[in-house]
Amino acid sequence: MSVFLSSLGFGLISAAVLAIATVGFTMQFAVTNVLNLAYGSVMINSAFVTYYLNYHAHLNAWVAMIGGVFTGAVASYLLNRFVFTPFQRRNLLPITIVIVALGVDLCGTFGLQAIIGGSYFSYKQSLGREIHFWGMYFSTLQLIIMGICVVVLGLIHWLLKYTRLGKAMRATSANPNLARNSGVRTQRVISSTWLISGALCGLAGTVFAMNTGVFDATSAQLYIVLMLAAMFLGGPGSAYGAMIGAVTIGVATELSAGYFNPQYKEVIAFVVLLGMLTFRPYGLFGSEKTN
Amino acid sequence: MNAIAFYLATIIVYGAVDSMACLALNVQFGFAGLSNFGFIIFQAGGAYVAAVLSMGPWQKSNGGFQQYVLGWHLVWPLPWIGAAIFGGLLALPFVFLVGKRLRGDFAAVGLLVSAVLLNQLVNNFVPLFNGAAGISIVPAPFSGTWNPQGLGYQFAYGGVAVVLCVLVYFLLRRMTESPYGRSLRAMRDNDVVADALGKNVRVQRTSMLILGGMIAGLSGAVLVGFINLWAPGAWGYAETIVLFAAIIVGGAGNHKGAVLGALLVPLGFEEVTRFIPPLSNPALVPALEWVAIGLLIIGFLWFRPDGILPERRRILSRWATPSVSVPSSGESDALINLGNLDQMDFRQLLRLEGDASDHGIILASDRLTRAFHGVTVVSEVSIEIQRGRITGLIGPNGAGKSTTLAMLAGTLAPTSGRIFYEGRDITSMPSNERAKSGMIRTFQLASEFKKLTVLENLVSAIPRQSGDSFAGALRGRRYWGREDAENIERASEMLEGFGLTQYADSYAGGLSGGQRRLVEIMRALLAQPTILLLDEPMAGVHPNLAHKIGDQLTRLAASGMTIVMVEHELAIMDAFCDPVIVLAEGRVLAQGTMSELRAKKEVVEAYLVG
Amino acid sequence: MSVELTKQGLVLSTNGLSAGYDGRPIVSDITIEATPGKVVSVVGPNGSGKSTLLKSLVGVVKVLEGHVTVGEHEITNLAPEEVAMIGVGYVPQIDDVFPPLSVKENLEIGGYLLSRREIPGRIDAVLDFFPKLKTMMTRKAGKLSGGERKMLAMGRVLMLSPSVLVLDEPTANLAPMVATQLLEEFVRGFADFGSTVLLVEQRAKAALRISDWTYVLGGGKVVLAGAPKDLEQNPLFVESFLGGSAPSRSTSNE
Repeated sequence: MSVFLSSLGFGLISAAVLAIATVGFTMQFAVTNVLNLAYGSVMINSAFVTYYLNYHAHLNAWVAMIGGVFTGAVASYLLNRFVFTPFQRRNLLPITIVIVALGVDLCGTFGLQAIIGGSYFSYKQSLGREIHFWGMYFSTLQLIIMGICVVVLGLIHWLLKYTRLGKAMRATSANPNLARNSGVRTQRVISSTWLISGALCGLAGTVFAMNTGVFDATSAQLYIVLMLAAMFLGGPGSAYGAMIGAVTIGVATELSAGYFNPQYKEVIAFVVLLGMLTFRPYGLFGSEKTN
Repeated sequence: MNAIAFYLATIIVYGAVDSMACLALNVQFGFAGLSNFGFIIFQAGGAYVAAVLSMGPWQKSNGGFQQYVLGWHLVWPLPWIGAAIFGGLLALPFVFLVGKRLRGDFAAVGLLVSAVLLNQLVNNFVPLFNGAAGISIVPAPFSGTWNPQGLGYQFAYGGVAVVLCVLVYFLLRRMTESPYGRSLRAMRDNDVVADALGKNVRVQRTSMLILGGMIAGLSGAVLVGFINLWAPGAWGYAETIVLFAAIIVGGAGNHKGAVLGALLVPLGFEEVTRFIPPLSNPALVPALEWVAIGLLIIGFLWFRPDGILPERRRILSRWATPSVSVPSSGESDALINLGNLDQMDFRQLLRLEGDASDHGIILASDRLTRAFHGVTVVSEVSIEIQRGRITGLIGPNGAGKSTTLAMLAGTLAPTSGRIFYEGRDITSMPSNERAKSGMIRTFQLASEFKKLTVLENLVSAIPRQSGDSFAGALRGRRYWGREDAENIERASEMLEGFGLTQYADSYAGGLSGGQRRLVEIMRALLAQPTILLLDEPMAGVHPNLAHKIGDQLTRLAASGMTIVMVEHELAIMDAFCDPVIVLAEGRVLAQGTMSELRAKKEVVEAYLVG
Repeated sequence: MSVELTKQGLVLSTNGLSAGYDGRPIVSDITIEATPGKVVSVVGPNGSGKSTLLKSLVGVVKVLEGHVTVGEHEITNLAPEEVAMIGVGYVPQIDDVFPPLSVKENLEIGGYLLSRREIPGRIDAVLDFFPKLKTMMTRKAGKLSGGERKMLAMGRVLMLSPSVLVLDEPTANLAPMVATQLLEEFVRGFADFGSTVLLVEQRAKAALRISDWTYVLGGGKVVLAGAPKDLEQNPLFVESFLGGSAPSRSTSNE
């Protein structure tokens, strides 16, 4: 029982970080049909900007995080504006965009490594008091991360359901031509999507780095696997699917780590991903996008 | 001096290994359209197997300081053969990813993730792979007899590697320049259509995954025998991206391009960076190397997407014997000047020797129903198609005509109901098998194989080609060449009839909309259908030409070919179709000759008038 | 129906227009005009370029030559969203709604250019015109029946009170009864309210019944034009569209 509860606790934290990351990732796919495999490199660059502000500019980590979020937003916007959009205008196969994204990922990850070197970094930040309830242990830091996750997901829900921009995003995702015929300036909507999802990416990068404690330039390279698994579980392009998928994957990986061998905890994500691709590539909640 | 010689030998081996890998990946990606982002798994797997097959039992030979399986101490070349076999076997678990009609990028992601996680597993799993440490002291072939450190040995090793690479090159070229290679490229350009013409897409993809895996495994074996080390860290998923970069730079779909890419990217980068003096930050050079590869991929895809050596256009007309080759009849616009379609006798060309008197039921459906997301599009359609007639399917937009046709052809599975072909229940028969048994369909949307020439498009459809199988292809042009030349001649003859001779060696993707429709009709005819299912074949075709095609179809039907045609234009229906089936809202509304249908009020309401 | 549903119509006209994909014209040398208070229809066989013509008017397909004007504005090759702002409401033949959005959200997107305060009033006006939609405001558009979906598609463009309505085969996929109602009640209704209606129809006879003027397209060109009653007498037209014999005689053709 205690293994279960402590693993569940870990799982909830992993899920919180993963949910923030996956929602941004899946929004990019939904609105622009780009499977942005460079997402992890933007995450880690943002995390490093937070580190720089925290360590060298002596800002509180939570304040420095704003810089990370900003970096993620701007980098993602530029990436879409100057790389993905020009390539997409050429009507290439989706696989070409994926290869381009991988190229960008190499540049982003190893460009950072070239600058900061191969060493590990960590934030100047205390984990805070340890709190335990219902047999689960959390540090204050972890509770704050989960709190941030809940607030952010709530904001995304509010954005998509109740705001003009959010509805325009969903409309653009469902049928970009019709959205334009309705007077929606889809280019602006797409730019906003990349800014917002990029902010999520930057946030995810920072809380990911906080949660793991130490990180280097390549730390987020494998994180894309978990994000892909969460996205395909919930249905590619569905923000709510991504939230549910992330919670499932986050909890499942930590439970498997608790009961089996922690070194193989990603295996469950791998199995889920391949299973979904084989049997339900449009997810448990998603539906096949026409074109 | 000696150092330079040793260095040269090393470069030769690396160059051969990288070239083999790039050749294999290029066959998968450039020819078969398989984006195998997990390619490195196959190379790594082969290398591991070659290593453990050549090493002795682990407890004995090294006191247990490293763990591994097998340890059979096999003599060369058995470990290499084992590596190739294992590389092929490794493909099998991934067959389900590529066999399905999964979006190309989704399948690629599946393979990429497999590569990432298998690497992680190996890194952590000591009993089988000795974990991240990997295995060392892998014996070089014949290390008991000769000294692997000797210069002669090293050059001999390089020679063997190069010979293997050359063999792989010729093997692959033999395959890709055959009718089978044509089928592979057709699948790459449009898998649904290739399937509808009778190509078994699943088998083709599986074969290429296995073949590529075997070559990758072999290349891994060559490498591990030379460097005598195997560690999972060297086989990260990013290595696959390097190979992709090589192919993009060299030129996808071109074997020479693959070799050039291999020499420029993996080998060139590795070697050039060796000469950069050590810097204070040891991670800097490797990191910049990765950045350069990333930039190379993006830059080439933007500025030169076909690579340094682009795919060659295959000029098939040169294989046709001059006697048949065509007097230029189509100098003016082929859509107006119609070649000599009137004089053509396709019956001979298509080897139709039918008994036209039999008008029995050849194809029937029983309460065929199809729903999309809960909306029923076709509902309980029961129709019977008579042999040797042109049956028309009409109805307003959205009546379910195309859906019905797609279910008959097997492109779409029915939600319920059954289909019978010559009395047999074929409801669950895959579309490529239906095509092989003589049911050929065309598509409403453009469906040409874009990067195949017009002649290649036509020839690819001809059934039962002896060179259109892996084994047949390997037997070489001597085996299938004469037959292929005949096929090319038949296709040229048809092309002449349609007045498109001047486009024989142009890429089909560059034709106008109307010309592409003609290519599709010709291609369907050359598939020698028993029953031809045409989905709005005349849309966008010049009316005069449409009538001539209609006349030809009538003649073919009179010789025993069965034709089902979805059409909007009543004039075409009037002229050529008998009987005509009217669909409305997914149901059969009426059936009969056009004049009978005109007399029916409900038909007139639903369609003719509105 | 006291609330004004559409604005006073504007003249939509093209002059020597040719348009198509990848620089290749599908329609060429098209000169047509649609005027306020009138239904102008375009009929023609499949592949004759009807849909391409409409798409080129609203900025979805590139105009290669010629001009398109609405009232005072030249709209040749304007972006679709700019055409919408000028007051042209376009209902495509397929993909005419946002399936994952609710009916209400579809209408809200239709009113995207309005201020937040105007939207509820406009939705009420549209619902007065299509009362059937009232009962299904929270349902996803993808779950509507064909007729309901078409009403929603039209309701969406009405949100901006367009001056010109451009409708691409609104009756496709609809049962005959529903199609007739849609054309005679709603499409004719728009024109009677004073707006300009340009309609592409597959069902030639039905289109003629509600049209004031009809253009016939063939092979990407206007091959015939005239008032419906004149076209019905034209043997060439009857031959190619009404199926071989004049409709008045077809029932006695036993």
